[in-house]
Amino acid sequence: MPGDTPFVELEYCQLTHDGECACGDDFQWALADGGNRHIAVLSDGLGSGIKAHLLANMTTTMALEFMKSNKPILRSAEIIMDSLPVCEVRKISYATFTIVDMLSATGRARVIEMGNPSYIQLRGEMEIPSFSRRELVSERWPDRKMDISELQMLTGDRLIFCSDGVTQAGLGTGVYKFGWRRSGCLAFARELIAREPAISAKDLSRAIAFNAMSLNKEHKCVDDISCVVLYFRKPRVLRILTGPPFHKEDDSAFAALAADGADRVIICGGTTANIITRELHTRVELDLKMVKVSGSLPPPGKMANVGLVTEGILTLTRVTTDLERHNWDDSPVAAREILAAIEESDVIELVVGTKVNEAHQDPKLPIDLEIRRNIIRRLQTVLENDYRKKVTLTYF
Amino acid sequence: MQDKIKLEICCGTTCYMLGAAELMTIEDTLPDAWKDRVDVFAIPCMDLCTREDIGRAPFVRIDGEVMGNATLETVHRALSKLLPIEPEEV
Repeated sequence: MPGDTPFVELEYCQLTHDGECACGDDFQWALADGGNRHIAVLSDGLGSGIKAHLLANMTTTMALEFMKSNKPILRSAEIIMDSLPVCEVRKISYATFTIVDMLSATGRARVIEMGNPSYIQLRGEMEIPSFSRRELVSERWPDRKMDISELQMLTGDRLIFCSDGVTQAGLGTGVYKFGWRRSGCLAFARELIAREPAISAKDLSRAIAFNAMSLNKEHKCVDDISCVVLYFRKPRVLRILTGPPFHKEDDSAFAALAADGADRVIICGGTTANIITRELHTRVELDLKMVKVSGSLPPPGKMANVGLVTEGILTLTRVTTDLERHNWDDSPVAAREILAAIEESDVIELVVGTKVNEAHQDPKLPIDLEIRRNIIRRLQTVLENDYRKKVTLTYF
Repeated sequence: MQDKIKLEICCGTTCYMLGAAELMTIEDTLPDAWKDRVDVFAIPCMDLCTREDIGRAPFVRIDGEVMGNATLETVHRALSKLLPIEPEEV
């Protein structure tokens, strides 16, 4: 089951050098090898603004492509360094990089660093050193040393890497004569995790970046600030059951999936809810007061000991459409509750009964109802492609 | 005190599209004299829309009795048979 494989929560926060319209750091990531490999690249271009962004963006783009196609790292780095345009002012071409290449199933990772502050691996609050670290130097670029670290991420570990806008924050101020440094950032992250052990990658990266900024004089961004956090954690599983099973004798196996095995369960469909209440000896509570605020969809209800219950096809169609247009500000309550649950989950298990309700095909209905399977296919596609969710599909 | 009348409204897809959305607001339309005499419930689905012998969606149940093609007007009329509005005392 995908629920057994840890989930890679990868987020970053970037703050732009004061007075510039573009960030001189760039971050990109990609999935490779059929989604089993996460590759993330952070680069800090020389200087700031558009010129720096160009250098950084060229570096991340090339590095990502070279990594995806498994090109040797030394040769890749040489090509990158050869390709970067030379700065007119400084007569050099330069962009740092940190590349993280991780197998999502095992947590085995390699970090390649050139010029950026060294990464931090945390297990809870404890820092984990890499078990192997070696230096690689190109003959043609002897001053650009690369460090290659091998590490093992366990479920719950975090990997933090940043640009020097973080570690050099506060430089020259009374408190941080030499800047916040890696040690300051490490202590801050450990303290935050101690206070909030499940802090998300997004919140942690934002906290670090903004704290770095706050250490600068007048809270200014005197350099571009980027912080990336990779949180390798237990996935949150949402199971959506919709549609009655094709064979009635499968009802109890179908209903059992509402009772156990997921962090959260949503039932979409009145008949589906009836089958589950019958099999699990529970009941649905629908609050008629919700009608007034339920918008253009039937109101959601609650099934005792299970979770949210909504109408089926109309609600799922709305959810899918909202996901496709990336906006659910005006969505009715039932759809919005499903969307919120989806947002907070990593793995979406769609359990789909395939029995067709003939009444739904009545041409006299005011609008065309989608066939459940078509909606589910659309939902799966948008969740996987646009929202990086792992989706499983089980038909009954 | 007489038993309350149980009015159940189907909120399934077909019923909802064919008028249950409006039926769910019935509490607001009941005469004051009936308000304490009718309990309104929303049901996820009564599974009746595929049956052809009992009318069309939307469906309601009044004290267990199924009623098809339900509208606010027809439900009011059905309730009025069970709950005549007593003339105000002079």
